[in-house]
Parts: sequence; structure tokens; C-alpha cells
Amino acid sequence: MELETALQSAETLLQPLAVEIKRPEPERVDVYITLENLKPAVQTLVDAHWGYLAAITGVDKPAPAVAGAAPDGDVEVLYTFANGGALATLRVRAPYTDAQIPTICDIIPAATLFERELIEMLGVDCIGTPDRGHLILPDEWPEGVYPLRKSFTGLNQE
Amino acid sequence: MENPESPQKFVVPIGPQHPALKEPAHFEFSVDGEIVTGASVRLGYVHRGIEKAAEARNYPQGLYLVERVCGICSHVHALSFALGTEKLAKVVAPPRAQAIRVLTSELERLHSHMLWLGVAAHEGGFDTLFMYSWRDRETVMDLLEQMTGNRVNYSINIIGGVKQDVSDEIKTAILKGMDFLEGRMTHYLTVVTTDETFLGRTRDVGVMTREQAETLGPVGPTARASGVPIDVRVDSPYAGYVDFPVNLIVDDGCDLLARFVVRIKEMQESIRLIREILDHLPEGELAVRVPRRIPENEIIQRVEAPRGELFYYMKSNGTDMPERVKIRTPSLCNWASVINLAPGYKLADMPMILAGIDPCFSCNDR
Amino acid sequence: MELSLHPIILLLFFPGGLFLFVAGLLYEWVDRKLVAQYQNRIGPRFIQPLADIIKLLAKEEIVPDGVHKGLFIALPIVGLASALAAALYVPLVGFNPSYSFNGDLIVVVYLLSVMTLCLGLAGANTADRFSLVGATRTLTQLFSYEAPFMLSLLGPAIVAGTWQISEINAFAIESRPWWFAFTQIVGFLVAMVGLMGKLEMPPFDAPEAETEIVAGALTEYSGRGLALFRLGKDVELVIGLTLIAAFFMGGLANPLDFLWKTAILILVVAALQSLFARLRIDQTVGLWWRAGALLALLQLLAIILGRYLQPVLSQFFSGLFGG
Repeated sequence: MELETALQSAETLLQPLAVEIKRPEPERVDVYITLENLKPAVQTLVDAHWGYLAAITGVDKPAPAVAGAAPDGDVEVLYTFANGGALATLRVRAPYTDAQIPTICDIIPAATLFERELIEMLGVDCIGTPDRGHLILPDEWPEGVYPLRKSFTGLNQE
Repeated sequence: MENPESPQKFVVPIGPQHPALKEPAHFEFSVDGEIVTGASVRLGYVHRGIEKAAEARNYPQGLYLVERVCGICSHVHALSFALGTEKLAKVVAPPRAQAIRVLTSELERLHSHMLWLGVAAHEGGFDTLFMYSWRDRETVMDLLEQMTGNRVNYSINIIGGVKQDVSDEIKTAILKGMDFLEGRMTHYLTVVTTDETFLGRTRDVGVMTREQAETLGPVGPTARASGVPIDVRVDSPYAGYVDFPVNLIVDDGCDLLARFVVRIKEMQESIRLIREILDHLPEGELAVRVPRRIPENEIIQRVEAPRGELFYYMKSNGTDMPERVKIRTPSLCNWASVINLAPGYKLADMPMILAGIDPCFSCNDR
Repeated sequence: MELSLHPIILLLFFPGGLFLFVAGLLYEWVDRKLVAQYQNRIGPRFIQPLADIIKLLAKEEIVPDGVHKGLFIALPIVGLASALAAALYVPLVGFNPSYSFNGDLIVVVYLLSVMTLCLGLAGANTADRFSLVGATRTLTQLFSYEAPFMLSLLGPAIVAGTWQISEINAFAIESRPWWFAFTQIVGFLVAMVGLMGKLEMPPFDAPEAETEIVAGALTEYSGRGLALFRLGKDVELVIGLTLIAAFFMGGLANPLDFLWKTAILILVVAALQSLFARLRIDQTVGLWWRAGALLALLQLLAIILGRYLQPVLSQFFSGLFGG
């Protein structure tokens, strides 16, 4: 089946770079990788013409915090590539304490809009991204406030 | 190119308030006479924080919420959310419900493409086509109102199936409407491909070759008009598309004219599909029970909106509210194509190039 | 038909002045209603253009920063005034022109262009980007259709052997049923389309393309200035139609003639408006300079040749048939 071959080829391509590979759904393969391997993994997929970048999703995962202590969680970023019906997701984790990931805009220029949203909504910096302007937040939005983080419950100013 | 002796650059702002835009957005085109030399876009004027709001509402409430991301493609948002929740809960809606969902999706595609046809014609100064296509669109709107009770935001989905059934009178009315629209579609295809003044505005305007399309990453009819064969209904069939497959409509024109042709042909395909669904509507239940609390799970659901691929990532955490709902709308993917293609064309072509990707700012901004 | 009224009445009430305003508004309504019918809509009631003008006159006139205030206020007035002045030399409502002298054809065409010049200047005066782009387009369009339009009007003038509008009108009446619309069909078409260009009607409305540059040169105008420009355009519509009907449709001998001939013309103009998409400014210029000017020149050549060869040809034909 074409779906299976596509998924297999993604697995083979990413095997050397992956920490772990899972199949959560019939059409999906999840590849857990470290931050250093993000760009090589993206490059591998692009060189093999394995589909196109469908989305960059950020998921906030705050650790259960002790009252008063600084949150010690991280943000998981998912890079989903779609090839026909098959979906391959690269998963990296960026800890709150060092919320930075390398940009993939030099490999996929169209990713800039997704990265802009990630930067402003979840506070994960993409090093080297060409445009850091606000995508959907207003210009007067206060610095350092990231609406999609669980810790954000509303703007209390004014 | 660098360091002009006298700065000929002149920035024409379009938006946030402009007759060409139906929703607010801000474009800046640097022009040199009539030729555009650079383009930039600022979105976010209708950002409402829907993704965050979905995390604070339970699943049925979330369904109503995401329907209001966009007025034109509201059904596909709700459909995607419902399908995603059903996947999280590991249930499958009954076949009749899936078929009715597809029926509504195709009717929505018809109305959205006709709306777009009128708006794009208006941008080109062809008001007669605008008036005629919107008059014909009323047929679809009346059918939707008869079927679901509303012209926009049909709200026919519930988690687990659909709310309303398709009775025999509605069936007859829809078939009659389709007969009428089929003739109109043939007429519009002829107009768009043979009217000289219209061709002068659309042929060889906004050209995006297949290689460019594959790098810039557009989805939907914009990509299909450049020969890229992607369509979620064909690649990864969902809901009723498994039983009622769709033909992929691709055109190699790569210009604005090709985008018109692709959308009109898609409308013809939708008419064919609607007729087929109505002829073979499966019997059965309309909905299936879904538990209130959804166990921990994480899914990705893709759906073909009229504008392209709609991507939903949903994560549940065992409670009755989702942990994360991520919506990636098709219009977001299509922007790169406009910004990179605009330079080199005339200012007068800008509204038409913008209209060619069928932008939906509410979808972008959520 | 001769009209002998006191000059003041001619100027202010009939057929100039007030009557011309009313006629202009009426023709605007007919045009809008016809276009609406072509587009399968209902269209406005007959009182709509008057209501528009009244509403505009009642609105506050906002003079934007950075403009030359005197020019801003004066330009609409000058535009309207020149259009009204042009009315004195054309056979309005089928009566002989109130004032007439040799060469008034040139004067009338010039006066009609003053309106467009005022439009362009008004746009250039304003410091707003849209107005500047609109002004550029207006003036570009003026340069492109002016030559073919004049050339096409020269056709009947040459045949009539005069530059005086009233005499051309008389000649056209005498040479019925040979309307110049038939004998100089190319010139007629060029003149019709030229009029649409002058009035910035679709498909030649690039200078005020609503979806591209908001309202072109008139973007910053509101209230009185806008009302006067609109009135000026309506008056030009009437005068333009009168001129074309007088020249190409067998002259205007009496008011009834005027009514039905201009009615036919406005039907055609409304149809042309609804049929096409808007032409880009470069397409408009290209169309006019390549097709329009060429056609008008060919028409003129045909006429001139015809005049020179006429004695020869008539001898030839009488020899052939008279025998």
C-alpha cells in the first residue's frame, strides 16, 4: 500500500537521527529527535522530496510546579510533513530555561510564518529566523508574555 | 538595483481599510511607477485567540467555537474538530452521518467558490460577472438554509455525527438546484476562458511555476493550478470521501487564469458528487454516543477546505476539555506565494493576485 | 430649430444651466438603471442621482493637510464651469446652439478636456498616494484617447467642410438619410468609445479603479467638491452624447430627435459598460494608441481620398449608368 511505503521510507530516512520512532495512528509516524538533529532531519526529508511541511505545532508542557518555584517544563515542537496520506512528525523539546530551537527557514523558506507564530505565542526562539515580527499579535503586546502558554490566563494590565 | 540616485520607491499601502479587502489586513507594496518592486504583509487584525479559548471549553462548546473561525468555511472547521474528537475518543460516526457531512462540505465548497468568483471578478472590474455569480450563489444558500436552518455557520455537526437529517423534499430541492447550477458552471467556464478583456487581466498574471510551488508550499486550488497534485480528499480520504471518492482537478496553467479554471471545475466536480451522494445516501443512525471525558490521546486531522488543506492537531488529557487545539489554516500557507510572486507585476494586478489565492483573513488570524 | 430667448435665460435656465443639470442627472439615472438591468439587478429610482448630489452638498468639506487650499476648492468649480460653457456651442435639446462661431468644434473639445485636466490636477494636488496614482492614470488616459477622439470628430467636419458645430449639424440634417454613423462607421465607433474613455466609464475606469486605488484622483474629495465633479461628469455625458448624435446620427433638428437619438446612444453605452472587465491602464493606452489612433487615421484618409476622387468617381459612374 502506498501509505505504508511512504511511512516506511520516512522511517528509514530518519532512523539514524532518531531517538525513538512510534506509530501512534495508522497514517502517522512520530520521530523523536534532539535539537541538534532537527536541521539534518529536515534536510534529509527535503532532499528525498518526502512531502511538504504541513505545520509547525507548539505544545506547552509545563511540569507540575511547586507553589512559588519557577516552572520547570518545556515546549514540545512538532514539525509535521505530509506526503500523500502519510504524516511524519519530527518532535523536539525546548526547555523553558533555554527555549531556543534552530530555524529551518534556510531549508524551507515558507516556514517563516509558522515560526513567527511559534515565537510570539509560545516564546520559543527560532535562532536565525529571517523575520521576527508579530504575525497575529498586536504591535503593543507586552514583551515576554506568551498567550499560548498554560501560565497565561489573561492580560491583567489596564 | 542597489542605491538608486533618486529614490523612485513609493509605498502604496493597501489596508487595513480598503475597498479591495473584505477583511482587514495590511499590505505594503513598494512601487516604481506602476511596477511593484516589493511586498510585505501584516496580519493579525482579527486575531481572537480561538486556540487558547478552546482549551477552556469542553468539546461540544469547542465545536461551536471553531465553527466561528471563519464564516465562509465554517463547516470544515467544525467537521475537522468533530472528526478529531471522535478519533481521540476512538469512535466512528455512522455512515449516514459521514455522508451528510460530505454533502454539506461540498455544498459549502460550491458557495465558497462562487463567492470567490464574484469577488475576484469585482477586483478585476468585471462587475457583471460579480452580480451574476452571486445571484447564482443564492441558490446554494437557499438550499443550505433549507437543509440546516442557516445560511452561514450551519452547525450541522455534533461530536459523533450530525444533527439534521436529509428528508426527501430537501433531496428533491437540492437535485433541482444542482441542475440549474450545472448549466451556470458551464457558462462561467466559457466566460472565464474566452472573454478577451478578462483574459487580458488573468492570463500570464501571477505566474507560479511548479518548482516554485513546491518550494513556497501553497495548498489547495492555488497549488493545483500550478500542477501540484495535492488534495486531502484524494490523498487521505476522511468522513464520507472513503465511500464517495473525488476526482483530482489539476491544471498546468500556473497563472491566475488556471486558478479560475481549477475552481470552476472543482465546482462541477462538487455538483457531480452531491448528486451521487443523494442517490446513494446510506440508511442508518445520525449519531453515536461519545463519552464526555476523552481519554489521553493525540491526533492529527486534515480536511480539505475550499481554500486548501486544513490541519488540526488535537491533544486530550482525560478531562472534558482539550489540552491543545492547533489550527493551521490553508490561507496561511498561501501567503508566501503572493509575497514572493508580487514583484515584477503592475500595481493594477495586485488585487487580482491577492484574490487569486482566495485569502481568508479570519482563518489566518483565528 | 431656432430658439430665441434672452441670453440670461439661455445661460442659466434653458438649455444651459439648470436644465443641463437636470438633464445630466436624468441621463446618469438612465445609465445606472440600464447597467443594473444588464446585471440582473433592479437599479436605483429616478430620484437617486439628485439625492446623491443633495446629500453630498450637505456634507462637510474636509480639506486634507498638505494641499493647496485654493486649488482644492477651485478645481471642481473650474471643471464644472468649462463643461457648462461647452454646452453653449452644441445643439442641445435639438435647438441651434446659443452661440456659434467658426472653429467652435476645437473650443468645445478643449473645454471638455479641461474637466479631465482638473481631475488630474486635483489628484496631483492631494498628498495622498491613491490620488497621485489616480491622477497619473487620468492624465495618461487623457493623452491616449484625446487624439483618436478628435480625429474621429474631424471626419464629419471635413465632409461638411466647416469647423463650426452648428453648420456641421445643419449639413448632417441635410444629408439624411445618409447618417455619418453608416458612412463613417469606424469614426463613429472610435468616437463612442472615446467618449467612454473621457467619462472614465467602465471598462476605461482604471483612473478610479475602486478595488485598486480607492477612488483615484477624487479619493480625498467629499461634500461640495465631489458633488461638483460628479455634476461636471454628468453634464459632460449629455454634451458628449449630443455631439455624437449631432455629428453621426443625422443631426439634431428638434427636441424629439435629440431624445430618441441620445436614448439609443445611452443604451449602447450602458451595454458596453457591462460587457467587459476593467482594462489596466497600460492596456487602455495600448488599445488607444495602436487601435484607436490607427482606425481614426484610416477613416480620415478614406474621407479625404473620397473627396478628391469624388469628381472622378461620379464621372465614372455616370458614364457607366448614364450612358
